[in-house]
Amino acid sequence: MIENLILGFQTAFTPENIFWCFIGVFAGTVIGLLPGLGSTTGVAILIPLTLTLEPVTALIMLAGIYYGAQYGGTITSVLISTPGEAASVVTTLDGYKMARNGRAGAALSISAIGSFIAAIISLALLMALAPPLANLALQFGPVENLAIMILGLVIVVSFAGGAFSRGLMMAALGLLISTVGVATGFSSARFTFGNVDLLSGIPFVEVMIGLFAVGEVLHQIRVGAAAPIRTKFRDLMITRSELKRSVGPILRGSGVGFILGILPGAGSTLASFMSYGIEKRVSKNRDQFGKGAIEGVAAPESANNAAANANFVPTLALGIPGGGTTAVLLGAFTIYGLQPGPLLFETQPTLIWGLLVSFFIGNVLLLVLNLPLAPVFGQMLRIPYGYLYPIILLTSFVGAYAVSNNFFSVLIVFVFGIIGWIMKEVDLPMAPLVLGLVLGPLFEKSLVQTSAIGQGSFLVLFEHPISVVILVFAALLAAGPSLTRRLVARRHAKQADRENDKTPVAH
Amino acid sequence: MKSRTVGAAALGTAAILTLGACAGGGASASSSGEPSGDVRMIVPFSAGGGSDQSGRAIAAGLEEGTSLNISVENREGGSGAVGYSFFLGQEGNPNYLLASETALLALPLTQDVEFSYESFTPIMKLGDDYTLLVVPADSEWETCTDVVDAASSDRVVAAVSGATSLDEIVFTLVEDAEGVEFDRVPFESGSEVLAGLLGGQVDVASLNPSEVLGQLESGDLKALCAFSEERYEYEALADIPTAKEQGVDVSFAQFRGFIAPGGISDEAREYWIEAAQAFAETDAYDSYIEENVMQANAVYGDEFVEYLEGNSADLEKVFAE
Repeated sequence: MIENLILGFQTAFTPENIFWCFIGVFAGTVIGLLPGLGSTTGVAILIPLTLTLEPVTALIMLAGIYYGAQYGGTITSVLISTPGEAASVVTTLDGYKMARNGRAGAALSISAIGSFIAAIISLALLMALAPPLANLALQFGPVENLAIMILGLVIVVSFAGGAFSRGLMMAALGLLISTVGVATGFSSARFTFGNVDLLSGIPFVEVMIGLFAVGEVLHQIRVGAAAPIRTKFRDLMITRSELKRSVGPILRGSGVGFILGILPGAGSTLASFMSYGIEKRVSKNRDQFGKGAIEGVAAPESANNAAANANFVPTLALGIPGGGTTAVLLGAFTIYGLQPGPLLFETQPTLIWGLLVSFFIGNVLLLVLNLPLAPVFGQMLRIPYGYLYPIILLTSFVGAYAVSNNFFSVLIVFVFGIIGWIMKEVDLPMAPLVLGLVLGPLFEKSLVQTSAIGQGSFLVLFEHPISVVILVFAALLAAGPSLTRRLVARRHAKQADRENDKTPVAH
Repeated sequence: MKSRTVGAAALGTAAILTLGACAGGGASASSSGEPSGDVRMIVPFSAGGGSDQSGRAIAAGLEEGTSLNISVENREGGSGAVGYSFFLGQEGNPNYLLASETALLALPLTQDVEFSYESFTPIMKLGDDYTLLVVPADSEWETCTDVVDAASSDRVVAAVSGATSLDEIVFTLVEDAEGVEFDRVPFESGSEVLAGLLGGQVDVASLNPSEVLGQLESGDLKALCAFSEERYEYEALADIPTAKEQGVDVSFAQFRGFIAPGGISDEAREYWIEAAQAFAETDAYDSYIEENVMQANAVYGDEFVEYLEGNSADLEKVFAE
């Protein structure tokens, strides 16, 4: 272990590798910033440019793009309510509210700090325990995944806050939209009306850009935009009490992110949503959620970064990609003449440990890059809205086109922009819809698989110990609020009884 | 005032970068004659997969031998249907190519799509990718015959990576040849299948050698047989018998290659065939075949069309049921 670390440091700490690490995290930040251009596409596009580099240097840079994008995705979420990455959708809920309250700098700072702490925690776990953790992750098959999806849907409920039925309605709408296209294991198309573009379903990123960015601009235009936010530079800094409030959410977010990140298929988007849902239940300041609670930024941002790093557990230890971007990275391994698989740790120690140590360097660079820039980015909101809105609309539509080079994407953004505006006008929550859309295909896939494994019966859910544990947890969460209410009611009733009991004695 | 400029500049830069990202893929649409300038290589699957790798290798190889600038564009969805259908709309445009594989034949046979292989201009088949029947290392089965025997009396759960994917085709062929039945659990990619196999959620899988080489070397998986005509020449795979040797008469190859849109001029077709032949002579071609553990059987133009005809007829039998 110590030997390996030293080897890693020797590899990563060369001027050349540090330089390319910086290039990677910087490019990643920019790619994360741009709506539509995600880290998967970013890495795939940049692979050809790295062919002249040493494999370890090239992988250090490409991995830098991946986790750098997790930092960058936050910036636009907070500032203009336009998530740059799917995993930052949930950050808009409180991040954007914080920005409107003049706390953009604090939101961005806590997201950088949270991301950094999450990265360090998850990297330490990754280095120490990757092979055993990877083998544990393999125990999560379709049945266990179905249980996780059920848990995810239960957590959606907590998003709605007071308006429970509205949240449920929007989650159902999201699930409904996700059924468009071809389902896992079948070759027939659903709800596509002969349109080829719909075969792959309603694309999630475009929906997100439409709902959040375009919808918000339309809404603000109708309301009559407020004056630009004028804050003193000093007010953009994070305060000590805000830091203190964020410690718990960051640690819990890191944990949730790491666990979901090592499971192939669950991913950082689900991790960010889940950690937000959990905070909303356990936080002392839960009434502030949705109004600009710093916990609502700290938790999901830590979770998505931890998940991004945890994704490397199955990728490096088993040769099974944990998500889209790590799949592309594994593809890059073969291009450099390396055989991904369980033997990588043994056959390529220099490369693997050099890469892992470079994650530390990269995250330090990102923190140094992002912390001082947070207040500067915060100042961006001083741009009068007359200039800001056209720029948001332009980046939204151009970004949507860039996703798939297809005008169909632009159309989706337009349609969902209008839907998003209407939802704002009638006060319907958007996050459950997005989560429904994200969970839908995953949920359906594990449903089809579980049914195949159980030969048409879902009772297998109760035969696998892990899924039973998850389901019990989900049941407790679902029953939680009403259960506590009933317990409280019973206690009151008991007290009343006791008083009633006393009365006859007194007689 | 100063900070305002900083903010505006940052947002402006972001917008320009986005614009730049898509300007890179701009293909000029000339309707006839030879391709020139910017060419787009459509990959009908997502970035990082097998089709993507072959598309990028072909694009880089062709770029080297010509003065063209070939950019790769992923248009995934509908098991490839989105990309092929988009490609159908580029009829007559010599500046488009598509990284093709078995979906070209499987989709028209199973889905309501408007194209068949006859709608396009096949240029080059790079080589063949077969599959190996793999099981976890601790499995009791040692040969493909063991698996077939087990399937005739017990429940054998097979993983497949799609309704029309290569593994689905191979398992159907085995079922037809041996009169047995496999229970299927559908996954969405080879790596998901791999996770399911290693985790013990399924019993057998039929995967490309490149997808399991690492796990075979580490001893986590064992390969029982190869569904190919001949044994592999690669050192690591040379000991794996073919299914035929074990008495299961099944072999099926997934081809990889590239096609041009239908209705292009003869000069354009000749141009691409010559460029493809030049590509096959390069080291880049050899290393692509080796990296992906394929068998190099390059054919061009009419010969490729003949191959597709035969292959399509075979598939028709598989999907007829």
